[in-house]
Amino acid sequence: MLDQVTGSLERYLDLLSARQKLVASNIANADTPGYQTQDIDFQSEFASLAKGQQPLTVMSAGLAGKPDGNNVNLDREARLLAENQMRFNLVSTLLRGNLKTVQEAIQGGPSS
Amino acid sequence: MSLFSSIQVSASGMAAQRTRAELLVENMANAETTRTPEGGPYKRKDAVFSSETQSSPFSALFQNELATGVTVADILQDNRPPEKRYLPGHPDADAEGYVSFPAMNPAEDMVDLMNATRSYQANVAAISSVKDMIRSSISIMS
Repeated sequence: MLDQVTGSLERYLDLLSARQKLVASNIANADTPGYQTQDIDFQSEFASLAKGQQPLTVMSAGLAGKPDGNNVNLDREARLLAENQMRFNLVSTLLRGNLKTVQEAIQGGPSS
Repeated sequence: MSLFSSIQVSASGMAAQRTRAELLVENMANAETTRTPEGGPYKRKDAVFSSETQSSPFSALFQNELATGVTVADILQDNRPPEKRYLPGHPDADAEGYVSFPAMNPAEDMVDLMNATRSYQANVAAISSVKDMIRSSISIMS
């Protein structure tokens, strides 16, 4: 029970931090000519629970480009930044609860 | 995979935007400069950004190609012809009484400066968001 649920939560946190890093890259390169927005395919990367592998980076499609070839949309990045942060906080709270349950089992009930 | 390298990426963005803002301020300060060490009026400078893979000595062990920061690749001089103004009394006036001033559009530089400020703030927002994530993953341990 611990391995499965905790493993999925951990993978989710890993993916979120990888994605947050790409969002940070996109924001840093908002004024770099020719830079293309990078992202990961969250659903498929999460489904293929290949541990220890780097998630594949893909170019986001369907974004309007600027004349200098850059297609970073700051509104999109700001949304993803906030969304990733909230998801991360949620999942880390879940993970903490999960570990706490195990700790309680070890100690024989909620500690006083 | 570490959240700390995200901070490094955002920091590279902040450094690049700061360099750009410094150049723009320099341009505006020298809007009326007619003498330079190279001779002739001041020439506008502009930063060119390029993306770059971030690495630090510490992260060599966890090196991955996921994150790309930004760096100032080049600083270009604007080679627009200088603006001639008829000021016969000016010490730098030529034989016909015209003085060469830097060709500069203050609105252009102001808009660029605002853009640099906003991009800098976006990078700061990214850092504080990542800091919050790091804090919540530390709290898993408690």
